[in-house]
Amino acid sequence: MHAFFFREAWRSFTAHRGLASTAIFSLTAALALCGVFLLLSHNAEQALQAVGDRRELIIYLKDDVSDAQVQKLQDKIRDLYGVPTFVSRAKAWEEFSEQVGDPELLQAVDTNPLPASLRVKLKPELLNFTAMETAAKQVVEFPEVEDVRYGAEWVRRLDELSNGLHRGTLFAGVLVAIAILFVLYNTLRLTVLARRQQVEIMSKLGASDRFVATPFILEAMLEVFFAALLALGLVFVLQQSLAPRIIGLTFLPLTWCAAFVGGALLLAWMASGYALNRILRTVGA
Amino acid sequence: MISFEHVTKRYGERLALDNVSWRMEEGDCVSVLGHSAAGKTTLLRLITHEVAPTSGTVTVGTFRGGKLARGHRALLRRTLGIIYEDFRLLTDRTVFENVALAVRIAGHFADSEVIPRVLHALTEVGLHQHQTAYPHELSFGEKQRCAIARAIVNRPALILADEPTGALEPKSAGEILELLKRIHREGAALLLGTTRPDVAEALGGRRFVLEEGRLTSLERPSAASPYAPPASAPTPQAPPGPGGF
Repeated sequence: MHAFFFREAWRSFTAHRGLASTAIFSLTAALALCGVFLLLSHNAEQALQAVGDRRELIIYLKDDVSDAQVQKLQDKIRDLYGVPTFVSRAKAWEEFSEQVGDPELLQAVDTNPLPASLRVKLKPELLNFTAMETAAKQVVEFPEVEDVRYGAEWVRRLDELSNGLHRGTLFAGVLVAIAILFVLYNTLRLTVLARRQQVEIMSKLGASDRFVATPFILEAMLEVFFAALLALGLVFVLQQSLAPRIIGLTFLPLTWCAAFVGGALLLAWMASGYALNRILRTVGA
Repeated sequence: MISFEHVTKRYGERLALDNVSWRMEEGDCVSVLGHSAAGKTTLLRLITHEVAPTSGTVTVGTFRGGKLARGHRALLRRTLGIIYEDFRLLTDRTVFENVALAVRIAGHFADSEVIPRVLHALTEVGLHQHQTAYPHELSFGEKQRCAIARAIVNRPALILADEPTGALEPKSAGEILELLKRIHREGAALLLGTTRPDVAEALGGRRFVLEEGRLTSLERPSAASPYAPPASAPTPQAPPGPGGF
């Protein structure tokens, strides 16, 4: 794209500072709303990931399973589901004893009733309710296996919470997209009307719609760029002010910030292109 | 180059052009005379496709038809040079930028292409010393020179001039007409709409009269036409009338 269009965009931006400022503040409000949702979503996802990492499959083994069979089962589990850690009967009893803590209570139990088990840290693609349920059903069919546990209800609720958050963020994103379209459409309409004479003269001289529209689109993108930076600044201030009260509340990663600005610019490009296509049909004779 | 075939144009009930048919060839010089609101501007706007005919066909070069697509319309206008009575200059740009805009619209963006073309056009109209001036710093005559420079900068084969001397005092009007004649001599076809017979006469070429939406050649005007030469005036070399250039 030629520097001419950027100069034209900057000329229009500086010539209509009032209009540009109004647009930037309106867009900042819409984008800040989206930024807050992203901040919530990001931190919730972090928290869910921390909890989700603790999701594991516990495979209880039959008492008569030999060491060779356990080794063979471990290899199979490693191939199919994730990394297994063998917990012998003695180790299980040791852990149980540590948890109970009362020696008298433990003496009441004559023999170690706990089975040996495999604790499986699942592959990432299996860290959801459906996949874990399927894996559990398959594993329980192995002849060495007595039972399988994975906290089905807990995993299901965790997944629902995660999905709900994603849907919420998507909904906020759609709302913001509509808000941006609305603000840009009206701002561009006012900008084009303010420069109506220029648009008409260019049209009479044979300027294509693209030639006329490009500076306006660049101007809209410039406004959205400033608005996105301002919105990120506001979200950062919010995060900093809440961080002492909410432990572990972190700001958006750089890649998320870049995606936020990039997404806003893409939206601005599409919205302003659509708006100008409609506006120029009524203004350009 | 231009042909009107049974073109009629109505604005609601008002008839602007009534079954007009005429042709203009490459390199022609044509003046269309008519009083205010006679339809001269409508005729020019039909050529630039700012309006579509109610019926009939307007052909400009290879562009033929009633209503062109926006892209084709822009392309057509880029092949023309258009001069308006009120100049239509962008007030927030210098003379140079106003003329350069037409070059960029034609698709030339590099300074090495834009600058020589603009300077050449400004030199041709005698405005190169005012290239950094803004329109409000120019006289009416200088504004019209700027508009002419913008019209000729892309070397169009056809120049349309809608009352180009209408806003000018006699001396400037005379200079502008001389300029248009020179441009025509250099090969561009010229179509001029004017209310003033002296302007059309000074320009030379074929003359038409537009009255009540009908176009007639001045070589055979209606007896009632105020544009018809008086019986005592055998040649079209009449001196300029009052307020003439």
